[in-house]
Amino acid sequence: MSDAMHPAIAGAQPSQRAEKRPEAPLFEGAYQDRFEKILTRYPDKRAALLPVLHLAQEVRGWVSPQTIRRVGELLDLTPAYVRSVASFYTMFNLRPVGKYLIQVCVGIGCDLCRAEEVAEKFLELTRTRIGETSEDGKYTVIEVECLGACAFPTVVQVNDKVYENVKAEEVEGLLKELD
Amino acid sequence: MDNDRKLINVTIDGIEVSVPEGKTILEAAERLGIVIPRYCYHPALSAPAQCRMCLVEVEGAPKPLPSCVQQVQDGMVVSTDCAEARKARRGVIEFLLLNHPLDCPICDAAGQCMLQDYAHETGQLRRRAVEPTVVLGRDHVTSEIVYFADRCILCTRCVRFMEEIAEEPVLQVIQRGHKGYIDTMTDELFEHPFSMNIVDVCPVGALVNEDFLFKARSWDLDQTASICPGCSQGCNVLLGTKEQRVVRLKPRPNPEVNSHWMCDYGRREVVRWGAGIRAEVPMVRESDRLVAIDWSRALDALVEALSEASGGAKAIVSPGASNESLFTLRSLMERVGFEGGYFHVTTGSEQVLKGFPKLALREDRAANARGAELLGFERVDYVYGALLGHRGVVFVLEEALDGAPEDFGEGVELFIYIGSHLSPAAGKADIVLPCPIWAEMEGTFTNFEDRVQRFNQALRPPGLARPIWLSFSVALARLGAGEPFTSVAAAFGALAEELGVYSGLSYERIGLNGATTAAAGSAAAARR
Repeated sequence: MSDAMHPAIAGAQPSQRAEKRPEAPLFEGAYQDRFEKILTRYPDKRAALLPVLHLAQEVRGWVSPQTIRRVGELLDLTPAYVRSVASFYTMFNLRPVGKYLIQVCVGIGCDLCRAEEVAEKFLELTRTRIGETSEDGKYTVIEVECLGACAFPTVVQVNDKVYENVKAEEVEGLLKELD
Repeated sequence: MDNDRKLINVTIDGIEVSVPEGKTILEAAERLGIVIPRYCYHPALSAPAQCRMCLVEVEGAPKPLPSCVQQVQDGMVVSTDCAEARKARRGVIEFLLLNHPLDCPICDAAGQCMLQDYAHETGQLRRRAVEPTVVLGRDHVTSEIVYFADRCILCTRCVRFMEEIAEEPVLQVIQRGHKGYIDTMTDELFEHPFSMNIVDVCPVGALVNEDFLFKARSWDLDQTASICPGCSQGCNVLLGTKEQRVVRLKPRPNPEVNSHWMCDYGRREVVRWGAGIRAEVPMVRESDRLVAIDWSRALDALVEALSEASGGAKAIVSPGASNESLFTLRSLMERVGFEGGYFHVTTGSEQVLKGFPKLALREDRAANARGAELLGFERVDYVYGALLGHRGVVFVLEEALDGAPEDFGEGVELFIYIGSHLSPAAGKADIVLPCPIWAEMEGTFTNFEDRVQRFNQALRPPGLARPIWLSFSVALARLGAGEPFTSVAAAFGALAEELGVYSGLSYERIGLNGATTAAAGSAAAARR
């Protein structure tokens, strides 16, 4: 079964920048040092899986099947197990995402303040559908549950930057600001 | 060992019971015949207590407890069927059915589905949810097993079977919550010689065997306790039969032999054994051709030919023939002088089930090679070589004679062929007697470790085919060797009396679970 059936599973962690080298080696140079440091923090390799997946996503931009296999090799885990963990959490991108990963909060607070309209505006202007990447490879728009800034609806996070009080009519300006 | 543990008293549904310390409430209840509903719990797997179906009320506990992991404590008072436990179960069922497609009419598991059973039991007939259901679809997990994600309740029994028993953790839960499903690494099929056990452990219709898909409804099958004849392990099985055909084999739990498991090879191979052109009537040679006759005259001809025979007898037998068949054949051969019996065993590579290493698909792909050996038959690579130059009587028992030399059976005094199928080489026989295949008769096999196990008759033999022990004991009686056996139990009794290794065993004692010979029993005791 393919992961592509669930648009909602694309996601990003705050430190993530979406434009990455998907073929970059795991791990090299400074990343190798960070990987080894992560291992020292845990009693066994298995426990290091989540931070190592985050690191791999930071390097490659998304968690591809190849990444899953490589991480499994590094931590002595089966690929199926790594996939199971990576797919459980929403912040791992199991598909490639655009240069700008736009996460629109549809949690209850934002939803009451018309988050739906904001999300639709983003989709309209980027000419994509939820979870899909625009043809120019620039935008991926997804809906997420609660970004933890409920006092400022609607909340939108683009890569690692959070925008508060976004209204549908402000979306166009926000997109221009990105470029 | 149970005996060494302290016994403690608990009350379950008002009945007091003493169980060894360390047992769970679910196991204790089973001793009273109370079956607490369960999904994720399986007696041979670890219990993750995640399905929440087995919740019971325990006096003094602040909330219902999962009985599959909660160990009994002295003086515990448990209620498995009170209003609170029922309410908890109904809640679980409602959640499990939220996204269930309710496709029982086309589901292979219908009639043997624990979701059906418990949904029926909790009695909630109407769906309260108004949201549309999530549809996930289906996929192969092996080339023969299909996974229906929408029917899956994520009990993870299959995941734990692969991890704990097969020791190849290829299956995992992917995603979570209502999007969760079972899968291997992306787009991969897995292969394992014991893979079909995941279909057996699946409590619902999520994992189904493609070979059985849409072939039969489970309630249309007749179930017969039998032994898998695929190899010398002798897995205890239930034969599912329908309209005179073996449709499937399912493992029948036996902790001494196969636990709850069996291999894929057995399931795949032996269901086909009844196919092909069957021998249906006794035939006797008249000048240059075989003529069909009735049993009475066929046995007359056999007895007459044997009384006139001057040379001794040699035999080629199948290592899949039952002990009783081989025993009566041997007795009959002894009337004219037993000069040797031979068999050839087809072999393959041994595949051990790592998490239960007592069980393996054995090298010997025949059920009763050991039994034949104990009866004095000799294992050889080339059976026809052993008969070269023999001019006396030749018996062939249930052996297809594939690869027999062109002139096999020529130049001998008497050639008697007993088989379930007609073989071209049997065309030269003087007497052909039809016999049933294993599924069409009862009897015993002796497995690789000298364990004697009974298999029962599931199908009617075709035409006039008759078990060999029966027809040969009649022939023996006519030759003056006492009364014919009236039952297979009597045949085994005579065998046990004559052959020291089986002393102390009787057909009744073997029962449904089998018994080891005295020698094997004491060897096992010495190992312990």
